[in-house]
Amino acid sequence: MGVAHSRSVSKEVRELESKTGFSSDQIERLHRRFKQLSGDQNLRKGSSGLADEINFEDFLTIMSYFRPIDTNTGEEQVAQSRKEKLRFLFHMYDADSDGRITLEEYRNVVEELLLENQHMEESAGSIAEGAMMEAASVCLGQMEPDQVYEGITFEDFLKILQGIDIESKMHICFLNMETMALCH
Amino acid sequence: MLRAALSLLALPLAGAAEEPTQKPESPGEPLPGLELFRWQWHEVEAPYLVALWILVASLAKIVFHLSRKVTSLVPESCLLILLGLVLGGIVLAVAKKAEYQLEPGTFFLFLLPPIVLDSGYFMPSRLFFDNLGAILTYAVVGTLWNAFTTGAALWGLQQAGLVAPRVQAGLLDFLLFGSLISAVDPVAVLAVFEEVHVNETLFIIVFGESLLNDAVTVVLYKVCNSFVEMGSANVQATDYLKGVASLFVVSLGGAAVGLVFAFLLALTTRFTKRVRIIEPLLVFLLAYAAYLTAEMASLSAILAVTMCGLGCKKYVEANISHKSRTTVKYTMKTLASCAETVIFMLLGISAVDSSKWAWDSGLVLGTLIFILFFRALGVVLQTWVLNQFRLIPLDKIDQVVMSYGGLRGAVAFALVILLDRTKVPAKDYFVATTIVVVFFTVIVQGLTIKPLVKWLKVKRSEHHKPTLNQELHEHTFDHILAAVEDVVGHHGYHYWRDRWEQFDKKYLSQLLMRRSAYRIRDQIWDVYYRLNIRDAISFVDQGGHVLSSTGLTLPSMPSRNSVAETSVTNLLRESGSGACLDLQVIDTVRSGRDREDAVMHHLLCGGLYKPRRRYKASCSRHFISDDAQERQDKEVFQQNMKRRLESFKSTKHNICFTKSKPRPRKTGRRKKDGVANAEATNGKPRDLGFQDTAAVILTVESEEEEEESDSSETEKEDDEGIIFVARATSEVLQEGKVSGSLEVCPSPRIIPPSPTCAEKELPWKSGQGDLAVYVSSETTKIVPVDMQTGWNQSMSSLESLASPPCNQAPTLTCLPPHPRGAEEPQAPLYPPSDPRPSFAFPPSLAKAGRSHSESSADLPQQQELQPLMGHKNHTHLSPGTANSHWCIQFNRGSRL
Repeated sequence: MGVAHSRSVSKEVRELESKTGFSSDQIERLHRRFKQLSGDQNLRKGSSGLADEINFEDFLTIMSYFRPIDTNTGEEQVAQSRKEKLRFLFHMYDADSDGRITLEEYRNVVEELLLENQHMEESAGSIAEGAMMEAASVCLGQMEPDQVYEGITFEDFLKILQGIDIESKMHICFLNMETMALCH
Repeated sequence: MLRAALSLLALPLAGAAEEPTQKPESPGEPLPGLELFRWQWHEVEAPYLVALWILVASLAKIVFHLSRKVTSLVPESCLLILLGLVLGGIVLAVAKKAEYQLEPGTFFLFLLPPIVLDSGYFMPSRLFFDNLGAILTYAVVGTLWNAFTTGAALWGLQQAGLVAPRVQAGLLDFLLFGSLISAVDPVAVLAVFEEVHVNETLFIIVFGESLLNDAVTVVLYKVCNSFVEMGSANVQATDYLKGVASLFVVSLGGAAVGLVFAFLLALTTRFTKRVRIIEPLLVFLLAYAAYLTAEMASLSAILAVTMCGLGCKKYVEANISHKSRTTVKYTMKTLASCAETVIFMLLGISAVDSSKWAWDSGLVLGTLIFILFFRALGVVLQTWVLNQFRLIPLDKIDQVVMSYGGLRGAVAFALVILLDRTKVPAKDYFVATTIVVVFFTVIVQGLTIKPLVKWLKVKRSEHHKPTLNQELHEHTFDHILAAVEDVVGHHGYHYWRDRWEQFDKKYLSQLLMRRSAYRIRDQIWDVYYRLNIRDAISFVDQGGHVLSSTGLTLPSMPSRNSVAETSVTNLLRESGSGACLDLQVIDTVRSGRDREDAVMHHLLCGGLYKPRRRYKASCSRHFISDDAQERQDKEVFQQNMKRRLESFKSTKHNICFTKSKPRPRKTGRRKKDGVANAEATNGKPRDLGFQDTAAVILTVESEEEEEESDSSETEKEDDEGIIFVARATSEVLQEGKVSGSLEVCPSPRIIPPSPTCAEKELPWKSGQGDLAVYVSSETTKIVPVDMQTGWNQSMSSLESLASPPCNQAPTLTCLPPHPRGAEEPQAPLYPPSDPRPSFAFPPSLAKAGRSHSESSADLPQQQELQPLMGHKNHTHLSPGTANSHWCIQFNRGSRL
């Protein structure tokens, strides 16, 4: 299917293809969507300085984290891909990108999650603490009484999420389909 | 079954039974006199037999499970069927005719609903909807495919002359037979797959299919049946169209009926606050009503109950009380298991009745082969299509299990019995074939599927406990995916699910949930809550155990169990950290014995919960006085939360929670306590150089006085028993230093002079019971109105542990922001010396609370305390008026 569009495949697109793993077809569709989004006035008038603008390549890179893992590529490829996905997630938690998810950051996440329920907000802190403690116990095992757990590092993060099959969670199905129908 | 007489019993009793039945017919005649004994078998016959059969089935179940070996190899359903065969044989031999067969009416009206309700109600809804596409495909397309191909192939077989000509059946008859034999049976699937433990996805697909294909089966069966009855010549083209249309009507109508009843059920349970006792009943009644309504309108009843269970669960669980939840769960499981057992046993018995049978080898063999073959083929074809869309494709092994797991069961049997012999002349052959197919699938496939699964190394379901982190991440994933879908502009599954959740949260939940339930309704919170309860329980278990064995334990292992710390030492530490506000603390003679008492006392204080002094008369039929259990859970929860936070702060996050001067002290104290206990067990009483203030205060009277004042909440109060408020402060002892640091804390940080045991004075000895002063163990006595207040209270009590709370103790909801980053790395080194600016509480007051307690002990000891505290400013304020003022504030605040 991608062949039909090969006429339009420029060098740029090919580069992106190899970088992100999307097919040229998908890139084209995403590009259309990207243009649509960037033209959207509502998005434009977000408060200044809130987010940096991203170019199409960044957009694609981010989207590529949600690409399904190709299970045919072998063990370590899959493991690598899994790790990449988790790293992306980790960076979402790690707001100040110091390599640790601290309690503060964790609490922010929990607060976000509980946001819809106004009554729960006070609990966010305690839940975050509970989760943090759990993380500590998972990662450190026996801990000395006065040992300090400073935050979840990426290694710990991998450990914590061991039980979740990321393959099914960090995926968006439509990216798998060549014939996705984008709404315009 | 109901009407049948148990001939074993009935025959010898027949003579006796006749007599009473005549009596009522002739009331006019003078009675021959008062009878001493009257035998009324016929009046109780039907229910008696039902009860008896259920009893037999249950006993059989018990017997089967006596041997672990047998049940691990053979599925229970097989054993039950075999038992049924044996029993049927006995009945046949005794009564000379087959009795107690599985009657379609009984089956559909009484036996099937509990099983379906159980499976619908406890269906993991998330998993179900995640795989809904696949399930629907298999249920609809798969069943249609199976029915038509099997029917057609059998017809072809007959045309080829392989079926004996005495089987008089045309294409329509075979299609009818195909439609009833093709449906995978929920009862059989559930019975077998529950023991196999394949992975969840596979299970939900097979099981979901078996539930949802009911609609298709019903429609096909009815359509074919009416076509057969009309005669194939009279069938018009519009009838075919009607048949297709009825598929939608039956399935969607059934689902709609189920959802309507789910809505009603949820709404009803919202208002049962004062009649908790009927909550479980409502669940069953409305679900059953849904079933009957759907049946009445000849819609898919199974679908209706499934949807009802699936739809109402979330709201009902939130609304009904904890006890009702447990009741619903157990009753449902009991009924379902009962029904299942009876079904399989009756199935076995029914097979014995040879009068219904007519054997034709060609038909039987052909059917067996065809259903296996077409099932496999259908699964492969559909999976191929589905895999184009699925994220995680179903691999070959899954397909094998799915095709092999297509068990047929009692539904098929009941349907075939329902056929009309005059319209379907080949009925007897069909019955025989169905029985063989059912037996083959349940027994042979049921027996072999476990080894097969093992052999193929099918991914098994893993039982990992839900962890808070995973729950959190799952939610994050959901949000992220919904967001990304939105960004890309593809409104897929996640998008719609997100929309649904929004809608649910905004409107449905508000409408269907109790306000109090709605407020605390959150999955993350649920998990948190559950984990806390579990911790607390394990803590209580371990705590008792530990005390009895060694008298001390050390280390706070940070694992969750141990967050609920196992050790007495921690208990001591815990309760010791509060400020003693008791002016009346009096030193008593300290002895080893006292110390033991104290330790025990603390253990009880922490591990046991409110002594319940009075019980409301619990003999009321309509009301269960109160949810003691629930309250106890909450207590456990609070206590545990307190403990968790406490130890969390003290061990792991010193840095982040800085407001506490007591914190470094606590870590110190833990060690000390460890030593202290060691000493205690050594039997060396150390009476010197430590200060113990343990106040145990009986607050009965004052408690009740207070109740008068805020008597609005009457239900709280009858649980307020004797409140023990105990507190132990351990002090520094120079002698213990070495051992303390070695034993418990090898850390490099400055080790305070080692501790000695905390000692208690037992106030009942000193007779000061009537002065009621509350100290920090506030949580033990508060009965929360709901979780929210519970949380606040435990927060506030926590605060009070850390330092005396400020005026609005209960509203202390958010922790003050603290300068984390800078201090963090240093924390392990200088833990005792961080005076945190973040805590808003005026330090003088905080000190007042503490110093008050210190001042109640003798002065020299206070001085020894100083090095431990590490705070220069820790001077002793004299316990003046400020203290008592303080007490009151605290009291009031936390009771609000």
